[in-house]
Amino acid sequence: MAFLAPLFFFGLATLAVPVIIHMIQRERKEVVEFPSLMFLRKIPYHSFRRQRIRNWFLLLLRCAAIALLVAAFARPFFRVSSVAAVMLGAREVVVLLDRSYSMGYGDRWSRAQDAAAEVINELGPEDRATVIFFDSGAEVGPRSTTERASLARLIADAEPGAGTTRFGPALELAEGIFQDSDLPRLEAVLISDFQRSGVESAEGVRFPDGTVLTPVAVTDETADTTENVSVAGVTFEREYFSGRERLSVLARVTNRGNNPVTRLNVTLEFADREVETFSADLPPNGSTTVSFSPVTLGNAAVNGAVRIDGDRLLTDDTFYFVASPGQVVNVLIVGNERAASAGALYLSRALGIGSSPAFDVVTHSINDFNASSLNGRQVVVLNDTRPPTGQTMAELERFVAEGGGLLVAAGERSVWSPEATTLLPGTLGSPIDRPGHGGSLAYVDYSHPVFELFGGPRSGDVTSARFFRYRPIEVVDSATVLARFDDGLPALVERSVGDGRVVFWASTLDNFWNDLALKPVYLPFVHRLAGYLATYTVPPPWLPVGQVLNLAEQRSLLAKASLTDVDLVAISPSGTRISVSQSERAGFLTLTEQGFYEIRNATTTEDSALTLAANVDLSESDLSTIDPDELASSVMGRTTGGREEAGNRPVREFTNEVRERRQGVWWYLLILAFGLFVAETAVSNRLSRTSLQVD
Amino acid sequence: MPVDATHYTSAGVQFVDPQVVARIGNLQLLARTVVDGFINGFHKAPYLGVSVDFAEHRGYMPGDDIRFIDWRVFARTDRFYMKQFDADTNTNFSVLLDVSRSMSFGSTGITKLDYARYLTGCLCYLSSKQHDRVGLMMFDDRIVEYVPASAKHLEIVLHKLDKVEAKRAGDLAPPMFQSTELFKRRSMLIVVSDFYEDPQTVVDAIRPLRYAGNDVAVFRVLDPAEINFPYEEASTFQDLETGRKLPVVPEKLREQYRQLVKEHTTSIEKLCGQNQIDYALFDTSMPLDHALFKYLAMRRKMRKTR
Repeated sequence: MAFLAPLFFFGLATLAVPVIIHMIQRERKEVVEFPSLMFLRKIPYHSFRRQRIRNWFLLLLRCAAIALLVAAFARPFFRVSSVAAVMLGAREVVVLLDRSYSMGYGDRWSRAQDAAAEVINELGPEDRATVIFFDSGAEVGPRSTTERASLARLIADAEPGAGTTRFGPALELAEGIFQDSDLPRLEAVLISDFQRSGVESAEGVRFPDGTVLTPVAVTDETADTTENVSVAGVTFEREYFSGRERLSVLARVTNRGNNPVTRLNVTLEFADREVETFSADLPPNGSTTVSFSPVTLGNAAVNGAVRIDGDRLLTDDTFYFVASPGQVVNVLIVGNERAASAGALYLSRALGIGSSPAFDVVTHSINDFNASSLNGRQVVVLNDTRPPTGQTMAELERFVAEGGGLLVAAGERSVWSPEATTLLPGTLGSPIDRPGHGGSLAYVDYSHPVFELFGGPRSGDVTSARFFRYRPIEVVDSATVLARFDDGLPALVERSVGDGRVVFWASTLDNFWNDLALKPVYLPFVHRLAGYLATYTVPPPWLPVGQVLNLAEQRSLLAKASLTDVDLVAISPSGTRISVSQSERAGFLTLTEQGFYEIRNATTTEDSALTLAANVDLSESDLSTIDPDELASSVMGRTTGGREEAGNRPVREFTNEVRERRQGVWWYLLILAFGLFVAETAVSNRLSRTSLQVD
Repeated sequence: MPVDATHYTSAGVQFVDPQVVARIGNLQLLARTVVDGFINGFHKAPYLGVSVDFAEHRGYMPGDDIRFIDWRVFARTDRFYMKQFDADTNTNFSVLLDVSRSMSFGSTGITKLDYARYLTGCLCYLSSKQHDRVGLMMFDDRIVEYVPASAKHLEIVLHKLDKVEAKRAGDLAPPMFQSTELFKRRSMLIVVSDFYEDPQTVVDAIRPLRYAGNDVAVFRVLDPAEINFPYEEASTFQDLETGRKLPVVPEKLREQYRQLVKEHTTSIEKLCGQNQIDYALFDTSMPLDHALFKYLAMRRKMRKTR
């Protein structure tokens, strides 16, 4: 037995207290007046019964209670407990089984299952085990269980997934299990192909002292385990021919092996139909790009895939994508009655360039602007003109409220009466001249989608433009200032109206009041501005496996598939129906499989669906490995200092604090001391009563 | 002769609790209450009306007062005979009261001094009712107050009793020695004290008064706590007169103490008896009229033995 706080034993000196109290000659302070002391002999206390211990039992009871109290504060614990437990042979075993898609390489998975099953079969009757399946995340079955049958069944039913290898989460989970365990021997068995790409996440993970991590590599040492060819990705090139959009697919194929690959068939498929096949040669550890012939797209998105001849790792031999038709943003520029086209020259030319998205620009003068002009338009630009009036203004307001975008650019003729400014984010003032070098933008909200493109270094300097005149605007509370001039006046102000957006630009969009139109940032600026007002989102051709998709952020895509405000269900590539609306995290979909996910209306059987392609992370295709022992030594804690017992198996060495906390002996001593104090009280009271009765 | 209180209770006497009469502030009223009640309860007793009873004849001696010649006997015998009576109805009655600090002790709500004052007052009142001359001497280590015996001094005696306080340590011998000069005429003297002296010292101090021809009685007043020593806790005891402190374990000393007190009392009583001094012990829980019984019993004995 040892003590965590042995200094408390100095408290044993208090044992002398009851003895001293009992023995010491101590006159009481209260004085009894008596007529005469002639009959009273002066008898000191120590000469009488106080010097004699009358009741040894009571004294021992008191001393024992105090001794127990002191011992409890000294925090005792038994060192032999862990040794005793070792003799019983109890182990806490955690089997970490890698199920990343690289485990599908050859017969790795079956060998891994066999290794895990063998560990389970070797468990003793007192041993407890946990099986953790991991790829980029970790999933645990029954924790610390002795039911070997259920664990074996769990291993047998498991299959490799589509995730990448990350050792960190699984090892941290195992560390938590070990810390919660009260068994003396902690053992972990890590069964994996030990890809180098997964090691980085394991930094900082350290098992409790005495834990033994046994790595089990399932790679075939006799073969070239790095031999793997994969489709690394595809890119699209769009072109318009005869009013139809044509899409060219470029596929990049990578060879990670040390041997060249020749005559590799690379096939493009659309809607499960083979479109074109090329034969490609790949150098060792190299890649090539295969360019397929253009394909004319219809109005609907189509599922596509690029396949290569199957090798030992099939998962990365196919790359899935969704080819959506290119989107066009329809922009209406409304200029003043004098120079509608001339004033919009820079803007219309800038929007005419580009394909992602493409802009269809129409220009009207304010006099020609009416309600029918808004049909099919997504963005309206009121460029240096007065506001529309009457029914046209009402229609414009409705247009914005229903989700349209309105850009108001100030100028000499953009005179808005207070009644007409209900749409604007503020009230316009008279133009301010900035003579000389003019003003510039001093504050820009680079977190806003319009400006985030310019936030990075060497991404374009929007503050380089000079502004010689602009209109001040008194911003309303509901508006947000996105940019300010160097004198503090707002330059770009945004306001939400209904489902739409209104943006006010305080200067002109040509080179009359500023030279922004002459700067390189002009084109991306107006593109981002028009795309933002049109709520333009690029439909992702594919998503990586493991991504959690927030469907609330895909409203525009769901709207195109008529899937808004309905209960949704996702059908995974393996055909599993996932109720997105009623899942644990409603509105979120975790992509765990490779292939095409279909998101449908859960209550109908209509064909309308949103299709998403999911592809595995190609970092897992790099099959280079690390030394398993290197990973094990980095994760294992301090060794047991050479102390090995019970068949040379390391014994977990608890710290004294842990031993003391787990055993909690002090608690029992405290209860015992309390009991003795109660007994002492009862005994002493009884003795006192007996003494009085005798007197 | 020890007096059994229950005997008088059966005679219909209402004993008076000292703690009750202590509430009566006026000492004369207190004495009258106690004594009148005592007399009423004893109206059939044989002790009253004995003051002028005829005792015997003796032959005339020259110088005798011719008023006491029994002329009837002279007529029959032609000789002069003198009539003699049993008692002097106008004797001097004085109380010698100890007012030392030890008398200020009390554990039952009444101090020994209070009890002694009430007792003295009652005795003086009773004697005055019998036309005796009453006097008082109060002492500690010397004579504190002295009121000569007189038929008119009852008021003064009661007043002095009312005002007295126990202030100093006591010493029996010096005041007793001085008092022999004060009581020239034969008197009945009652010495009231707690007598915390050596028994021989007590008797040696009182004996001169007896030798002077006085009828002397010793009334010892003690508190019940002084007799039984009922203390439980070990404490420091302080002598009221000397201020000396002493650590005491009562449970250890109790039996010894009781034995010592008993021996002391017995020794004083024995020595008093040898010197024809009456002795009586009163504890302050004893009714006052109980004390009066003792007193009257003594007077009867004195008269018979004279």
